[in-house]
Amino acid sequence: MARYEFRLPDIGEGLAEAEVAKWLVAIGDHVSEDQPVVEMMTDKATVELPAPGTGVILEQLVSEGDVVKTGSVLYVLETDAKISAAGSEAAVHAPREEPQAATPAAADSAGVLAPPAVRKLARELGIDLASVKGSGPGGRISAEDVKRHTAGAGPPAVEAPPVAGQRVKLRGVHKRMAETMALSAHTIAHVTGFHDLDAGAFAELAARLRRDAEGKGRRFPFDTLLVRAAAMALRRHPIFNSSLEVERSEIVMHEDVNVGVATATPDGLIVPVVKNADKLDMDALAAAVDRVTSEAREGRASVSDLQGGTFTISNTGAWRGGHGTSLIKPPEVAIAAFGRIEERPVVRDGKLVGRLMMPMSVTFDHRIIDGEQGLKFALTLRELIEDPAQLGD
Amino acid sequence: MDCLILGAGPGGYVAALRAAQLGRSVTLVEKGSVGGVCLNEGCIPSKHLCRFAWAKASAERFATSGMPAFAGQPDMAAFQKSRAAAVRTLVKGVAGLLEAAGVKVVSGQARFVGRTRVCVEIGEESVRYFDFKDVVIATGSRALELEALPFDGDRVVEPSRALEWDEVPATLLVAGDDYIALEIAVAWARLGSAVTLAGSGERLLPDFDQDLSAAALRGARGAGVEVVLSSEPSSLRSKAERVVVSAGRRPNVDGLDLHAAGLAPLATPFKVDTQMRLDRHVFAIGDVTDGLQLAHRAMMQGRVVGDVLGGKAGAFDSRAIPRAVFAEPEIAAAGLTEAEALARGLEVTVGRFPLAALGRAVIESSTAGFAKLVFAKDGGALLGAHLAGPRSTELIAEMALAIEMGATADDLALTVHAHPTFAESLMEAAEVSLGRPIHIRPPRR
Repeated sequence: MARYEFRLPDIGEGLAEAEVAKWLVAIGDHVSEDQPVVEMMTDKATVELPAPGTGVILEQLVSEGDVVKTGSVLYVLETDAKISAAGSEAAVHAPREEPQAATPAAADSAGVLAPPAVRKLARELGIDLASVKGSGPGGRISAEDVKRHTAGAGPPAVEAPPVAGQRVKLRGVHKRMAETMALSAHTIAHVTGFHDLDAGAFAELAARLRRDAEGKGRRFPFDTLLVRAAAMALRRHPIFNSSLEVERSEIVMHEDVNVGVATATPDGLIVPVVKNADKLDMDALAAAVDRVTSEAREGRASVSDLQGGTFTISNTGAWRGGHGTSLIKPPEVAIAAFGRIEERPVVRDGKLVGRLMMPMSVTFDHRIIDGEQGLKFALTLRELIEDPAQLGD
Repeated sequence: MDCLILGAGPGGYVAALRAAQLGRSVTLVEKGSVGGVCLNEGCIPSKHLCRFAWAKASAERFATSGMPAFAGQPDMAAFQKSRAAAVRTLVKGVAGLLEAAGVKVVSGQARFVGRTRVCVEIGEESVRYFDFKDVVIATGSRALELEALPFDGDRVVEPSRALEWDEVPATLLVAGDDYIALEIAVAWARLGSAVTLAGSGERLLPDFDQDLSAAALRGARGAGVEVVLSSEPSSLRSKAERVVVSAGRRPNVDGLDLHAAGLAPLATPFKVDTQMRLDRHVFAIGDVTDGLQLAHRAMMQGRVVGDVLGGKAGAFDSRAIPRAVFAEPEIAAAGLTEAEALARGLEVTVGRFPLAALGRAVIESSTAGFAKLVFAKDGGALLGAHLAGPRSTELIAEMALAIEMGATADDLALTVHAHPTFAESLMEAAEVSLGRPIHIRPPRR
């Protein structure tokens, strides 16, 4: 029997740490290879880490709630199995680091050079002054420095008022949502256009494709057609498939069309991404949409499925949503939101008739997309949905 | 009930006023008189006595300029009336503010009987129960006695009692080396008592800069105090008609029954966070908390806790809590001493300016003091200020502000200070630290 130290592997691009969400086994438990041992929560998703081999859990070196760095030892497994550190050679040799408790916000700013009024401002905005660059002599921080920092670094984590009431720690997916949305609201110049789409044919197509799929034992999420429409519109209006790099004053036109599908989960909003949505045929697209949204809802989305989006759609139809504005997910530059398809009175050929209508709003970043471009994109989406034959099947 | 504050001293009443300002409904429990030790038997009456004694000393400074010396003994009975009247005026003022703010003041002694409930004993027989959402413990501290010199309420007393005498004792032993002992010794010596100040340590004001300790020693001796250091004060008691013992102060938490509040066991003084929190709904401020036992610290903590109770982002993050000693000369300090800065691994530059080179000090025959400023090296911010001399207790406010603002030696040196004032010593000391003094010869390189 040998001792194997299981270290936190690199669980996603650019993620240096993760929170221990839950131990799924206890010390002394026998585990088999690939049995989930511990659940880790990153900013983006919850990940179950399976045992690398069959054996007995000897030690758990971190506790639930600890934030640990990649490469830290999570537990020790006593095992006979020859475990190759497949793909994680680097992680295995990474220096051991102690688990770190999440640092409290801006508690100790002693030593930072800033006048009392500026320290108060920072407290109110929930900013740790240690992270602010001072422009004054000797790095003295002014109120302007703090405000600039807020504008650049986004979300003010406002200090919780010490009032009675149940408190829920903001973390994981929820925290990420708070940060992303605040960053979006702080930095993006949102403009939203509203459109009412004649969606009878679209609804019919969706129903037909669903029946066909179910006939073959497959599922066909309604969002598939919206993703398809968005992907086609994005190909025709590449500025909507871009992102803005403010520091470099450059617009990056993305080559891939990766459409995110806003998905409500018990933990908060999450946006799994359908990669290369424009290149998949309808069956493959339906399967991809089904997979990423199901996994997201079940809290087991992989980190790679949560990254790399270039545009987002948000469909509130299932909740009887109507018209609404959306916040763009940085660094994307636009989002389209769809409401419930319902029969509404409209005028056709001078007569009041009932038609199946779908509310659509297109929100774009006016820093780089002008009103005309915004409208043209929306019109393309409209045409594709109102004449869904163009979407193919 | 909403907010309960235990103790109406400078911490408690300020917390009450601020919390009420921000819309909380506040009840304040006090066993004595509003204003607490500070107003009734501490800072206010003691500074009254110090200033009274200083008036005499101050006239004597102009003896060589032709001012006749004071004839006769000060009328201590008249002083005591005036002291009591000053206290009454101020207590009435605080009570009026509390009433105007809608703070309910309850007279009595509180103890916890649950996590959200206290019992207040009013008089001998009657008790009342109060439920609260948030509670602030601001019960202050009381004087410690020495084992060898227990208080007897008459001959051997705590410092507060030494402010109430209506006769000057012929001989007085002051046991202690802190600022309270020093102030009482110098004041009574000036008023005509033969005072011995006996400290067990090697210097007076042991928690101040070394140079200030030396200035305090010289000043006390100059005022006629016999200072005995490294001594056993109790061995000197037979020499004195009266004995005052200043041996530090202990938090008043014994009767609170913290266990009932679910708080025990907690070490005292309490360690609180920057919001003065002990527990989610339990706060503590002032002398019951860890740190300098000073009224103005408690008052700031009171404002902070009031802000927090009112839902504001309050935090106690003062960089410099000024300390003021009303002896001769006046002594004041804020921020780090040179030794403390070095111990923290900071590199410093020190600027020291002697009052002997200052016009105003020469006029007033008060050339014994100095201003000693400690800056971070290479044009860095002011870290600490250590002053000895007339009005140091006022000048320290500029230094505390400078530290809070992150002012550098250049900031101080380039700010015009009125001439001729003692405040010029601050600007001059900053210039010294920059190696370009005007009014003293530059140190040899």
